[in-house]
Amino acid sequence: MAAIFNLNHHAPYVHWHFLQMSVSNIVVIVLMVIVFWAAILIKFPTHGMRGKS
Amino acid sequence: MSRRERLAEDERYREWKGGYRSYDIVKEACIAFGVVLALAVVLTILFSSPDEKPSTLQSWARTDPVDFVTTAVTQLDGSSGTATYGPPYNHASGGQHILFIRPQKWLGVSHPVNTAQDFVLAPLRAITGQPALQAAVTAYESAPADQQVKWTSAFEKAVGSAKANADGSVTVPPGDYGPVAPMMAGLLGFAQSGGLDGALLTSKQFYQTDYTKPLLFMADGGVLSDRAQAERLLGGQWGMMNETGSYPGQVWLWLYTFWYQIKPFSTSANADILVMAIMGLLSLALILVPFIPGIRDIPRWIPIYKLIWREHYRSLSP
Amino acid sequence: MSVSQHEPPVSAPEPASWSAWVRDRAVRTLPPEKLLPDKQPTYVASWIYVFGVLSLSALAVIILSGTILALKGPGWWHFTGIGHFFNSVHLWSVELFFFVMVVHLWGKYFMAAWRGGRKGVWITGSITFLVAIPCALTGYVSQQNFDAQWISTQAKDAMNAAGIGSFFNLLNFGQMYSYHILLLPAAVVAIVIGHILLVRRHGVVPPFKLAATASRAGRDGAGPDAREASS
Repeated sequence: MAAIFNLNHHAPYVHWHFLQMSVSNIVVIVLMVIVFWAAILIKFPTHGMRGKS
Repeated sequence: MSRRERLAEDERYREWKGGYRSYDIVKEACIAFGVVLALAVVLTILFSSPDEKPSTLQSWARTDPVDFVTTAVTQLDGSSGTATYGPPYNHASGGQHILFIRPQKWLGVSHPVNTAQDFVLAPLRAITGQPALQAAVTAYESAPADQQVKWTSAFEKAVGSAKANADGSVTVPPGDYGPVAPMMAGLLGFAQSGGLDGALLTSKQFYQTDYTKPLLFMADGGVLSDRAQAERLLGGQWGMMNETGSYPGQVWLWLYTFWYQIKPFSTSANADILVMAIMGLLSLALILVPFIPGIRDIPRWIPIYKLIWREHYRSLSP
Repeated sequence: MSVSQHEPPVSAPEPASWSAWVRDRAVRTLPPEKLLPDKQPTYVASWIYVFGVLSLSALAVIILSGTILALKGPGWWHFTGIGHFFNSVHLWSVELFFFVMVVHLWGKYFMAAWRGGRKGVWITGSITFLVAIPCALTGYVSQQNFDAQWISTQAKDAMNAAGIGSFFNLLNFGQMYSYHILLLPAAVVAIVIGHILLVRRHGVVPPFKLAATASRAGRDGAGPDAREASS
């Protein structure tokens, strides 16, 4: 079953001093940070009764 | 804050006596499951997963016979990585340590590997129909140790200038190698036929699931590391975090591989045990965060909680 | 009120009844309305709260896809499209699992979710993360491809240096496969069950009391003198 995007080629890399990371891994880390902040900042819809315990 | 004040404050957070709203936990779980399943399937359709074919002793011997033979002679004379590794394979060294703490040595040789016997002599003895080869093995085994060393050292020096031939054989410059040259040629041919993969795997019994021997043999040469370097999987390339191709890898191992990149770990012979010790301590610290002064107070000092609970705090204002 | 003649006589459980003791203890610690509540505190109003159930869902997808791979044996996925499909689902659900679990960890850390007697929740959660890592490692070395060859021959050095390699041989496919499909998933699931039961028992941690609201005792719901917050 062929994938739509073929990732079976050498990954582009980012070098900064002694840090080396693949673009794929950087994308994952950046996405995690974005998702974390989005989860906190995006308003959460509250439905249903606001009742006493 | 004194310990008593801290305990009193903690008690106040034990129970929520405020308002509740209706909530469907089962429905939420079903929706979450559906979302994650859909995401996993979408990512599968978009990107699939990597599956690079494994190397074998046969493929190694055919594509890089010089490297194979170079590694094989070090297995014979006990100078290969595996032969000099120490526990759990042999007693050739004491292994890694931190000061007097030597767990590698203390846990002992639990997977004994004699590289000369297991990787070279026993497989050669399994080859039938080649009396000249068997005579060479007998000549080697019956020679005194210092004679064996002379032959293998001479061969090791010469194999640096060896050439691979079109038929898969290797030509080394002329020299006095005794029976070592025909032994190495015999082992090379055996590996190229696929026999060595089988011999190393089934040496103890028919049914096998333990690939220790063929993997150690290959790891001593360049067959795996050359492929790894091309895929940026080497230690110095932060390889622990990476996957073959352009797939995302094991991002959660970032701190583990970080230590290997900096001194003193990057140049230490005890790097592995040092990094394992540091990560063991940090793992313990993660588990014990609620008990560590300072670390447990950061959430108060960096008040992200004010954003998380902003609706709640707003509802309290007059 | 006298006991009706039609009701069975009520007697205290016999001291020797382990079953009754376990049942009473369990029901007292986690009554059904705590185990499966249909209401939640009003302060639970942020998307960060869904990352716990997302982590659990990812674990469920991992186990389901892993079960299908286990049904057909470790070599299947190399030779069929459908096998490769399920291997991919398994890999991506693992990536999603660590992704959402770490976001969940970040959220819980900044909420100081160990407060109010919830240290056990933090401890079980962090142990889940730490046990999931070797569970993933045993999976990577069970792939039976080049990746497995490289990872096992490299990681063996760390295991051996710590003495762990003497009884946990990454190069032994049979052993690693057993750890991966049974022992370590069982450990992860057991710890996750403990984690969830502790959350259900103690409830989700209340918000920090702000200094400005401290004088409005009770309105923020926490504390022994709290009154119920009105809607």
